[in-house]
Amino acid sequence: MNNQTKSQFVAVASITSELSAVMVVAKEISLAAANAKAIAFRAGDKAKGFQPITDFINELAKETIELVTSINVYALSLYQLTVNEYRKTIAYNKFELVVKIAKDAPYAQSMQPPLEHAKLSMELCQRQFKRDVKQLLDQLEAVMHHARAARVIAANSRIEASQAGEYLQSLQAVAESVDKAAHTIHDNVQRCRIALSLYRNS
Amino acid sequence: MKMTKIYEGTHQWIMFGRDENKPVNIIDSNQYAVRTANRCLLLEPGGSELFAPMMAAVLHHAPVEQITDLFASHQDPDVISSLGLWDQALSNAKLHAPAIWESFLRHFGCESIEYVPIPDNGGTIKLESVELQLIPAHYLHSSGNFHVYDPQARILMSGDVGSALEAPGAPMFVENFDLHIEKMRYFHQRWMPSNQAKRAWIERVRNLDIDILAPQHGRIFKGNDVKRFLDWFDALQVGIAV
Repeated sequence: MNNQTKSQFVAVASITSELSAVMVVAKEISLAAANAKAIAFRAGDKAKGFQPITDFINELAKETIELVTSINVYALSLYQLTVNEYRKTIAYNKFELVVKIAKDAPYAQSMQPPLEHAKLSMELCQRQFKRDVKQLLDQLEAVMHHARAARVIAANSRIEASQAGEYLQSLQAVAESVDKAAHTIHDNVQRCRIALSLYRNS
Repeated sequence: MKMTKIYEGTHQWIMFGRDENKPVNIIDSNQYAVRTANRCLLLEPGGSELFAPMMAAVLHHAPVEQITDLFASHQDPDVISSLGLWDQALSNAKLHAPAIWESFLRHFGCESIEYVPIPDNGGTIKLESVELQLIPAHYLHSSGNFHVYDPQARILMSGDVGSALEAPGAPMFVENFDLHIEKMRYFHQRWMPSNQAKRAWIERVRNLDIDILAPQHGRIFKGNDVKRFLDWFDALQVGIAV
């Protein structure tokens, strides 16, 4: 296995790992939303502006979880494609070697159809891989968009929390936890994008 | 890869082995082909490292599209880890292999090749007018294991039974049985786990009319050396590691 193939395997495998961390964080946001809702309910009028924000936070967490679940399925199929591409490349290289070694064999010519077929299959896998990487990058961009939205919500939450009197600290903690989670999601997804972007145009 | 015709009649048996370009740290193995007018069966087609030289050697005897059948006596990598490559090279082929190993062997890649599972009590492979018998050899050494007997050519392809650990470039045939014993003693004592299985196999094989006993490693036994081998193996205690 050459270094590029190794890196490709590592890149694809690391996406699943990064995304499972994103999933954990998204679930934390969902929990923070439920917590904020309870606090805002107790705070009554003092946290009136905070109440609709909790629904936004919850909705955002739910959408992120759904998106990551679907990306994970996609990442697994990308991994399978990487395995297939690897197998097809090995076969093509071995078939080329057969043609070279068997040049004096009476039936050497019969190796041409399998060789051509292996070449086509390998190239098909390579094109499919590039297409899938591009689509995965688009989906990851959607998660980044959610992370950015979460940070805006966190900023709004801080403003609303400042008007919540004795509930200020609790609601600020919620805003902090949403902001922190959004950062983590952003960083993890960014790492996936960097790892994959090498293969978009390779 | 060296090629030796070991039988020529209405059909041919060809042995492939002693590949000079083989990596030094992998065991040398014997591959066999049974060639009829329009078909070719490869017995123990070999590990993935050997695929290219093996295929290139086969092309001296048959075109790719006439390689219609593969046989694997058991699941070991030196026997059949090339399966995923044959799978991509052959468009219309069957793999005859023990039923109990099917889901294991498919790990090597078996999508276009049809897996024909051999039941525990054996079966046959029909290659045009040639009918080969699949002789049970379970626990010698694998728990699901078969040998191939050709009653017309009087050849028994005996998988790991009869194998020897040899220096590179060893001759194809046993020339002095007594000198050959030490090359195969440890292999049989250590790789073969069951005296009971060994006895059952010897009893079955003694009823066959065999001129050539062709193992997967080492040299081929001819004529009286076949009986000498069976007698020697009968007396040998195997499964020594416990």
